[in-house]
Order: sequence, then C-alpha cells, then structure tokens
Amino acid sequence: MSARALWVISHDKGERVSVRFSRRFSTVEHRAKRLAGSSYVAIPDDNTVLQLLLTELGISEPDKPYAALRDDCLDRQRSPALELRVDAGNRVLWPVLAMSRGPLILACLPLVDVPPGPRPPLAHLLSVSQGLTLLAGLHAFLLGSGSRPDSEGLASRLAALPSVLLQACPLGTPLDVPALGASAPTAHMPAGNQKQPAWKTGLHRGRPVVNLALIETVRSMQYGSRARQDLWDVYGTVTCKCEVEGVLPNVTVTLTLPPNGSPLQDVLVHPCVTSLDSSILTASSVDNCDGSAFSGPYKFPFSPPLEPFRLCSYTSQVPVPPILGSYQLKEEEKQLHVSVNLKLHESVKNSFEYCEAHLPFFNRGQIGVADVKVSSGQLDVSKEKSLLVWALGQKFPKSREVTMEGKIVFWGPTAGPTDPLCTDLTAYIKLYFKVPDMTLSGCCVDQHSVQVYSSTKPRITTSRELQSKEYFIWNSTGTAPVSSGHMIL
Amino acid sequence: MAVNWAERIEAFSRCPSGFLSGTTVDAFLAELLRELRDDKATYSVKVHLLSPLCEYPTLLCPSDSVGEETALELMSVFTQCPPRYVEFRCHLLLATTSVLICTACVSSHSRASQDFLKLLLEIAQDIGDIQGDGTLRALRATSCDCLREMEACSPGLLCHRLELIDGLRQQETSRLHQAFAGLHTLVLRNAVYQLTQETGAGAEHLKALLEGNTSVAWESDQDSGMLSNKDSGVLSSLILEPMGTVPTLHTGPDCKELRSVLASLLEESFLLTPLSQAELLHRLTELVAMVPGVPPSIFKAQLLRLLGTSEVCLFHSTLLLKCAFTDSLFSAEDEAFILKRLVMLSQHPLLTTAETLFYMDCILHFPENRPISCGESDEMLPVLLTPRLASALVPTVFNESSTMLARFNLHCLVHLEEGGEGEVEEDRGVAYLYEHLISLMHIVENGGSREIIVTFFRAAFLFLFYLYHIEHYSNSLMEKLCKLYLHHTQLGPHLINLADQTQDRLSESRWALGLLKALQKVITDAPLAQLTLQDVHWHLKILSRIAEEGEIPQPGTIHFLSSIITRSSSSLCASGDWRLGSSVLRVCRRLLVHPSLDSLLIPLADILQHLACHYGDTDIQDHSRLYYTLLTTLSKEKLAEVLAQGAVEEGRQVKKRSLSCIEGEGLTSMLTIQQTEKVVFKLVAVEPDLKEETSQESRAPIPNEAETCLEQVHTTVAAYRAQFSNPDFASELTLTYRLVHVEVCDSRFDHLFSIRLHFNLTDEYYEELSDLSVPCLFRERPSPVVKLRLRPRQPYSTTLHASAIFSTQDGLSWHTTLPDIQVCFRQTFMPLPAPQSWGRAEKLHLFEGLWEEICSEGKANEEQSDCATSLLCCQLKDAALSFLMEKHFLPFLVSELSNKEEFKVLIFLPPKSHVLLKVSSEEDTVHFKIATDNWQLLSHIGSYLLAITTHTTLAADCDASYWVFKSKN
Repeated sequence: MSARALWVISHDKGERVSVRFSRRFSTVEHRAKRLAGSSYVAIPDDNTVLQLLLTELGISEPDKPYAALRDDCLDRQRSPALELRVDAGNRVLWPVLAMSRGPLILACLPLVDVPPGPRPPLAHLLSVSQGLTLLAGLHAFLLGSGSRPDSEGLASRLAALPSVLLQACPLGTPLDVPALGASAPTAHMPAGNQKQPAWKTGLHRGRPVVNLALIETVRSMQYGSRARQDLWDVYGTVTCKCEVEGVLPNVTVTLTLPPNGSPLQDVLVHPCVTSLDSSILTASSVDNCDGSAFSGPYKFPFSPPLEPFRLCSYTSQVPVPPILGSYQLKEEEKQLHVSVNLKLHESVKNSFEYCEAHLPFFNRGQIGVADVKVSSGQLDVSKEKSLLVWALGQKFPKSREVTMEGKIVFWGPTAGPTDPLCTDLTAYIKLYFKVPDMTLSGCCVDQHSVQVYSSTKPRITTSRELQSKEYFIWNSTGTAPVSSGHMIL
Repeated sequence: MAVNWAERIEAFSRCPSGFLSGTTVDAFLAELLRELRDDKATYSVKVHLLSPLCEYPTLLCPSDSVGEETALELMSVFTQCPPRYVEFRCHLLLATTSVLICTACVSSHSRASQDFLKLLLEIAQDIGDIQGDGTLRALRATSCDCLREMEACSPGLLCHRLELIDGLRQQETSRLHQAFAGLHTLVLRNAVYQLTQETGAGAEHLKALLEGNTSVAWESDQDSGMLSNKDSGVLSSLILEPMGTVPTLHTGPDCKELRSVLASLLEESFLLTPLSQAELLHRLTELVAMVPGVPPSIFKAQLLRLLGTSEVCLFHSTLLLKCAFTDSLFSAEDEAFILKRLVMLSQHPLLTTAETLFYMDCILHFPENRPISCGESDEMLPVLLTPRLASALVPTVFNESSTMLARFNLHCLVHLEEGGEGEVEEDRGVAYLYEHLISLMHIVENGGSREIIVTFFRAAFLFLFYLYHIEHYSNSLMEKLCKLYLHHTQLGPHLINLADQTQDRLSESRWALGLLKALQKVITDAPLAQLTLQDVHWHLKILSRIAEEGEIPQPGTIHFLSSIITRSSSSLCASGDWRLGSSVLRVCRRLLVHPSLDSLLIPLADILQHLACHYGDTDIQDHSRLYYTLLTTLSKEKLAEVLAQGAVEEGRQVKKRSLSCIEGEGLTSMLTIQQTEKVVFKLVAVEPDLKEETSQESRAPIPNEAETCLEQVHTTVAAYRAQFSNPDFASELTLTYRLVHVEVCDSRFDHLFSIRLHFNLTDEYYEELSDLSVPCLFRERPSPVVKLRLRPRQPYSTTLHASAIFSTQDGLSWHTTLPDIQVCFRQTFMPLPAPQSWGRAEKLHLFEGLWEEICSEGKANEEQSDCATSLLCCQLKDAALSFLMEKHFLPFLVSELSNKEEFKVLIFLPPKSHVLLKVSSEEDTVHFKIATDNWQLLSHIGSYLLAITTHTTLAADCDASYWVFKSKN
C-alpha cells in the first residue's frame, strides 16, 4: 500500500512539457522487486517516463494527426491506471495513475502487493485508491485554490515539496495529504487523555465561530420536444469553517427540508463526521423507487478540522427547473430566424446576482447583422462574432417571462471558439445564473439548529445560494444529443 | 570554488546512470559524505545531498559492505548534528533507512542495522519534549515511519517489541499516535502471519505474543522471529479473492487479548487521516481474516461512517472488507446498497474523473457475496447490476473521453448479458449504444478534435468487440465508416488500425474483411476527377492493406492503380513524387504475392512497365523495372520465395505497427535507396603540414651567385620544360580530407558501410572527378582519410557539390548530400615539380631562367603574351616579413630562408602555370615583385597577398599603412 515513484509534470496545452519534480521510493522499490520476482519491471529515467506517459495520455506529438502508439483503438484509456510500455514495448509498467488538471500532470506508480501471476484487478489494490487520494491532495496543494496558479507560486510550492512529502509520504506510504494553508505547528497538547486527531494541525483559542455555506448547483437539458423529456438535476454542498476550542469538540449541523420537499439523495460526508444515521444514506438517485423515504432532519455530528472543509454533499430531485426555456431556429434563405422564450418559475426568488444567456452560432461564419429584439435585458455580440450574449440582469420582469425574436445574417469566415455540438440546427442556449439566498430543494441549514458544545456562545453564520452549471436549452427544430440514460428507459 | 550542489543533484536525479558515467560511484558517494560532514555547507543544501541516497541507495552502495559503511557514516553525521536542524535529521533517518534496507543490511542483521534500530527505538520513546516546541515530535514521527518501513521490508523484525509499541501507542496523545498505530498494526499483522506459518501455533502463542512473551510465542526459532527472506508471501496483501485462501491461526473462539487490541485500534481509527485509516483498516482486515476466532462483526460499528464517506480510499477499504468477509459481515441488502452507492459514486458530479473511473472499475470487479463464477475473466458484471441501475451510467457525448469509454464498455457488457440468444436485436439498449456511436461519428464529421476521433474509433472497437454478431448494426457501421472515409480520407490510418485490431481480436468474425472489401469498393468507385493528391496517398495506403488479404479479389485495386497512373490529366507520373511512387509500388509488391496473381498478371505488368518508362523518379523507375522483371521472368512460386524474406519480416509485427511507418518494409526497403533527412557526414580539410612538405628539400650548399652562368640556366629550364611533354605530368592536385560524422547524433547512422562519394563541379575550371569509395565509417573510430585528386584546367578556387550512397547496419541503402567543398586559391599551389635529383642550385637557376623569360616575353609581346609582371608594396617590418615567408611560402621558397635581402619564391599551379615572387625589404617597405606566365592569375595572387599580409600585420602587431600596386604591363 505504497507508491514506488511520484512525478510532477508541467505543460502548456501539451507543449513545453517537463518533469518538475520526481521522487523514487527506494524501499518500496525493494519490496516491488521481491514481490514481482522475475516479472519485475524497473522504472526508467524521468525523461523516458515522461515520453511514455504523454503517449498514453494522448498528448504526445501534438502535430501528428495519427500516431500508432498513441491512437491505437485497442488502448484501454477507460481505466484510471495507465500502462507504460518500457523497453521498446516489451515490458509493461503498471498501474501508473495520472491526474491532469490545469498546467499540471501528477503521476504515481502504486506498489502491486500481490504475488506474481495474472494481473490483479485495480479494485484489489488499496494502493490505487490511496494513490488517487495522494495525487488529488498534491494537486490541491500545488495549484492552490485556482486551477491556474502564477508560475512563481507554483515554483515555490514545488520547492517546498520535499518537506511536504517528509510529512505526507516520507517513505512511499502515504500518511496524509499536504495541508493547504501554512499551518504553524501549534503548542503541544495540554495535559489530558483525549488524543488529538492526526488530521487536526493545531488548536483554536478564542471565541468559537461556525460558518456554513450551502451551495446548490442546477444542471439542465431542455429539448422543447415531445419526443424527449427535459432533464434537470440539483446537487448541493455544505462547506464549513469551524473555529471551536478543544481537542475533539463536538458540533452538530442539521439540514432541514420544507414539509413537501423531496428527500436528499446520494449523501456523502466528510471523514470528520463521527456517526451517521443509516436513514440518511438510503435515498439514492440511481434507483428512485422509494417514495416514503426519510426526509430529514439530517443530522451531521462531527468534530471539525481547523481548515475549511466540505461537510457533506447531496443530490436532489426537484419537480421543476428554475428557468424553463424554449429555443427555435429557422433557416430562411441566408438568414436565421431566432425565437427564444425564458420563463422563471414562480418558486424561484426573482433576484439574481447575475443571469446571462449565451447563444453560440459556431461553424456558420461571422454574425453580420443581428436584427434581434429582446423584451428585457441587453444584447451583445461577442468579439469573435460567433456568439450572442443576452444579459438579463438582476431581475426578470413582473411577468417572469422574457423573449427574444429576430433575424441574424452571417457572412465571412469565423475565427474563435468552436464546438462540434453546435452545427447547423444543432444549437443551444447556455444559461449562466446565480441566485443568492435560496436553494431549489428548499434545503437549509438552520442557524439555530447548529449545536456547538462549548463554554462560550459561538458566533454562527449561514448562507445559501443557487448557481447554474451546464444549463442547456436546445433548439427544438434541430437534433439534439442524448444526454442521459433516463431517455432509453 | 563552490560546487552547485542543487544542480548536480538535479542532474543526478534526471538520469543517474548518465550522471555516473561522468564520474565514478565511489567518488560521488565520497563527495556526498564529505560534503555532509562539511561545517560550511548549509543544512538546506545537505537535505538535497541526501536525496540520491534516499532514492538510489543501491546505485551508490553497490555492495552490502559499502551500504554498511555509508549507514554508519550517516549515523555519525546524525549524532553530531545539532538537534535544531530537525528537517535535516529527519532526512538523515530516511536516507539511513533506505541504505540499510536496500543493501540487505537489515535482512542480514548487520551491526549498523542493529545500531540504527536501537537508535530509532530510542528516538521513538524519547518523551523529553516537555517544552513542546514540536521539534522532537517530528523526529519521533519520522523514526516511527522508518521503523514501519523496516518492518514492512523485513517482516517480523519488530515482533519482539510488540508490547512496547502498543504501550507507546496507547500513551501518546499528540498527533503522533497515528504513527504508532500504523507501526503497531503492521507489526501485529506480520507477527500473526508468522504464527500461522508455525505448525501447532494456537491461542497460547497468540496470547504470549501480545504480552511480549516472545520466547513462548516462537517455539521453533527462539532466536529470531524474522521470516525467511525468501518468503515474499508475507509482503503480499492477503485479501485477493472472496474465495482466496488466507493462512489461518486456529485459536478457538476466545482471543480476548487480540479482540481488545483490535477494538482499541478501531475505536481510535476515526482520529487518523483518511489515508492512514484506510491502511489501518486494510491491515486489520487481513488480521481478522487470519484469525477465525475473531468475528468480522468487530468492524460493524465503523461501517456506516465508511459507507457514507466522500473519501475514495476509505470507501475502497470498505469494499476490501466486503471482499474478505462477504456474507459474514454484509447481508444481501448491504450488498445491494453498496452496489447502488458505487453506481452513484461512478457518476457523481463532485468527484474527479480518475475517481469515477476507479469506481466503475470496482463495479466490474465487484466483490459479490456469492459470485457465480470466480473465473479468470477480466471484467464481470455483478448480478445485481440491472440495466435500470446501469442506466445512470449510459455514455453521452457530454462525457469526457475516458469516462465515456468506460461507460460504453460497461453498457456493452450489460446488454451483452441482457440480450441473451436471439432477442438481442430487439434490445433498446444496444440500439442506444449504436445511436451513440453514430452521434460520435457525426461529431467527427463536423470537425471533431483529434481526441474525439480517437475516442470514436475506440468506442467503435468496443462495440464490435462485444456486439459484432448483431449484423444489422455491424453492417450498418461498416457502411457508415466507408462514407466517413470517403469524405475524410485522413482517417485512413484509424480505419486500418480498426481493421487490424478487430481481425486480431475477433478471429471468428469476418467484419474486418468486410470493411476492407467495402473500402476497396468505395475507393475504386469514386470519381477520379475529384481526387486530391492527399486522397490518393491515403487510398494507396488502404489498398495496400487490402492487398494483404488473399480472400479479397484485387481487380478493383489494379484498375484504380492503372487509372491514376495513366490518366491523361494525371500529373502523378510527371510529378515524380517519390513517396507517392513508392506507395504505388508497395501496393504492387503486395499484389505480386497475392494468391490471385495469375489473373492479375497482365494488367499488373502493364502498370509496372508504365511506371518503369514514365514515372518521373529514377528510383521508382528502377524498382518498377525490377518488379516487372521478377513478375515476368519468375514462376509464381519462385516469385513468392524471392519476396518471402520481406514478408516474413513484415509479418504480424509490422502489421501491428499498423503500417504507420511509411518506409521500411521488407524487400522493398532493402531495394530502395532512401534519402536522409539531414546531413550525416561531411568532409573536413586536413591542413597541409608545411614542415613536412619542405623536409624533403635537399639541403645542398647554395652555389655562389657569381658562378651562375647563362648556359647552365638555359639547360636547367630546358630540362624542366621537357618533363611537361608527358601530358599527365604534374597535372593533378591532391587535397586531403577526413570523412567525419556531423555532431548531431542519429544512432541509425553510427555505423556506415560501403560509402561511395560522388562529386559534381560547379564551373568549368576542373576536369570531372571520379567517385571515391570508403569502406566504412564508425562514429567511435578515427575518421578515414579521403584524398581528392583534382585536375585543374585553370588553377582557380572552386566549389564542389558532394553526395554519397551508403548502407547502414540494417541493410538499408541511403543517399545523402554532404556540405559543399570549398577549394580555395591557396590549395591549388604546388611546390615546384622539379626532378628528384635537383638541389637548391638547380631550382635557383630555373627561377632565374623563368623570371628572365617572363620579363622579356612580356615586354616583347605585350598584347598576345600570357606573361605579366607586377609589383606590390606594403609596409611590413623585417620580423613580420620573415614570419610571413615561413608561414606561407616555405614549401615554395627557392632561396635560403636566412637570406633576408631577397626571398625568391616559385609557385607551380597545375597544369602549367607559374608564379614567381621576388620579395625584398627596402627601408620600411616590402616589395613583392611578381612574375607569372598566366596573367589571369595576377588578380588572384594580388588578393592572396593582400589577405596574408593583412593577416600577418595583424598577427605581428604592425601597421600596414598603405599599398602600392603597379603593373608594369
């Protein structure tokens, strides 16, 4: 349950690739040699590993349209573990885990702790999930909060890696993920029998503060067609920042639903949650058969770490999408007739932080004339002349309905973004919005239900918001791609 | 000078073997250890210095004894290091651990390893950290990590210390308890494993072990509890298959002591980080699996917490629990619940791609309570995974590539099982998968990225792999692929690859053959007029793959070839594009061995003949002629045999490379002369050694000037002139070069054979040169000398183009171009071709005679004569003049070098020109009196003198202030 080696690679969209950090764990390698016997495959030097890895990830030789090793249709790219073909393809280094985010690719080679013989399934190797956790932790550490760190920040964090690994993975066996913030080692425990959790870097002193933020994200695919059912789903996360005194303080947060709310599904909790009621876990989005399921209150007793963390997440099936849209395009000679209608559901608070509708017209030429009228908001053509941006502002009109109607003429070649899912009448509107202080599921964290076992009265703040992601309204006169399995059953 | 250690260490890590080739292991190790002891070095640098020892201990310590010494050295550095350098001391512990483990010092109980173990245990127990500044705690944590690694690599090493470690774990209230818990579980697990290997071991032994009474625990080997080194079983995870065999220890139901230890570990597991918790759970799972006396229900209290977790490694350890204990810990409802959870996690929007892929992999290897078969089959669906449940994981075009492929694969399996016999065609699921594949194809058609193209072909392969037997779909896919190809010929290699792989993996299916046949049809049916050169290129590739199939009739291909090369509008033949020509030939070559050759003979011969006569590239013509000859003169059997060699080499391996390598297949490439892309080697002039040229000069005494009589002069000149009656006399210039590799390394060209150098003139001043042969050129050997024999018509500077043909070790022939060779004016100078017997006296006579002749001739016959004289003056000091004469004119000097009043220089320029110089110093000015029998050389010699005197003045640090150039003509 250890890693043989670890690599940090930086690149710029597949170019200027270099190994920025690498670490071989010699004692784990020693075990790997003994375990594998004659089928042992040594790790080649960093540059070779880099080339092989890029080939497997499909980003080597970016200027070649086809490369046999890279593009073979037999390749098992669907597995999280890659095979590196070393020694001119004669031997295979497996299972290499690679995680790519932003400008970084992180990779490690977990130890296969089974006797030589047929290759074991990944599911039998604990080192694989541990490797994934370690890589995700290192990613978060190296990239910081944004996915595009400044190069200086990255360089300094890379330079800190040896001391970070001394704590997190000194000899190849991962013990912890690197701490995100700079955590000064705090004073030793006061006398007492309570053991300090290993994931708690220090102790808080001062007035207890509990900060809870509930964010719901709604996704939707609307087709405006009888043949296809519109789809939408909602998932929520509760992020928590707790500063409470004590070695292992107890905090309980309760999520509640309105009386007719549909139960929270797919609940996942942070490891600091001390116990769970089985009824909280029963509702699942993958088999929505049980209507009489438990619908709260959802109690999460936990002992918080010092840094902010995601206490829990859930999904929810809400009866209606927050904005229902229809989109129709008609091709008339050389112009395109556009007709859009967006309707805000009455249950949604009509107070947005922002609300924008994007209408891309890719693969058509530049937008020459846009003779389009909107009943509300402002219309803009993007710099590349391939996108209409309709800014709806903070509020829908009283009728809760807005429309767009008009004609667009295209000419000239287009440059800029493309999307193979946006050709001819296969076209969509993508909505971007955020509504503060509301959730679709009705789920909320009641400030008064937060229990903190502490001598002083804690300051508790809660917030909630709804945001959109992948919110599509497809042109109903064209063919739209299938997006979910619910359609086939 | 300070060595930049950070850079050196980085260079070492980048490529240790490369780095060590520049130094020796001993030296580098010694340097590292010396620097570690150096008080001047900073501790941050010293931390760097330890990384080679941590990462590559066996490279730096090639033997156990070196390892032992190095470890002792590191330990002494440790004891001398001030305690405040915690990080360095921690790294020192890690380095020592690495060295001792990897050099087998630990397994052989060497003295250093015993001492080190003692040191680690001392540090681990040191609780003197009352002030609590945390420094000691970091060191204690690292020492625990080291102890654990030593136990992991030498299981049983610490079994005698079990009680001690348990005590430390229980006492510890700081975060360090995690390190002790990890160490404790591992030692306990290894110790119990060891007991399972002892015959007759039971409850008593286990109890004794836990109480630290090891003398009772180990009956067979009281001395050491360590397991033999050969047993790597103890290193392996014990949780493999639900049906796997785990070594067991029979204790009866009463193992209170063990239970209480386990309970305490589990109870505190919540306090560990998820990673350590997963590890702990896994070790405890193994332990409980080995001791049937402990019921698996001991884990029950942890389960809900673990099943609800968002951490992948914690959920995974729960799956491993299930794998180990199946229905003794998990009910059927639990199983259904866990599977649902897995499906949910496999598509959870908040998880990373790698995590969801891992969960999907877990579904395909789901640890069922009652698996139907425990066969070797790679991927199997759990019985409980209904199509309804799986529908949460249908692939969509919105998925990222690998997720989409994983889902596609899963659904192929779902519908493969679902369909059963006969009803498959009715399955809506398969219909969905097919539709999905077609939507992907539409994206490819609409200009999808390279990633989407590759993903589409991978999905197509998966579809065929599982569902090829549903002909309705597989035929329709074939048709659509052909259409796709016709509009996007650049997808040719993908299609060939798909055909290759389906043929390889689905031997019972004829789909690949069908696809190739269909492709042949669309290629040959398409109107030629619209073909671009690029299309032709890909068509030929596909056709050459099709020609490999004996079962596919080839008239269509023949027809296509013949139309593209004979088409009146075709510029194909005229263009002489070598690549295209060889693509055509590659198809022809495959056809030559095709079983239906008899019926193709005449049209194929026509094609080859046409190419041989009309193709615009000689190489292609030659090959066509060869193929034509082979085809028309050899019987089918012989032809097959001649071409068989190539075919064997080609075999499956080349096919596996999917014909992507454009060149280099079998006989064709053996016979083809390939063009190198870059310069491989060049000719480098060897500077003539002036001393050597002059050394043969006879050192006869110089005759007194006064004695020189006119008659003697005349006879000398006549004798000299007589030599030229032979037209070959002194007509050649020999220039010496070395043939050397260019610096850019291409290992294919390191060893070259049979190099034939060919030269082309760029002007008419020289006769044609003959080719030169060099037997071989090896990069590592001294470069061969090449003598270039030039026959000038006029002795002027020139440029030669050079090229070469050679073969490489793999038998391929290559043509390459060398950098041009510049022959400068100076290189045409030859010493006087005087008879061997002549001494300086005769040469002086000749000089005087020629000088006289030229001067008088020039005066008498100014218009027609070739003779000319001239005077050049320059300011040059005496010393500079001597230097100049010695450096540039020594081989041509007829007067004594010591005679500084007047230097007489006689230069011969083949085939029959002379330049005579009288050089004298008059006051500050040097006069170069020039006489030549070829007036056209005057300007050349003028510029040459200008060049060397300027150079000399600069070299001699004098001023050359002015020049006078007077021509007496």
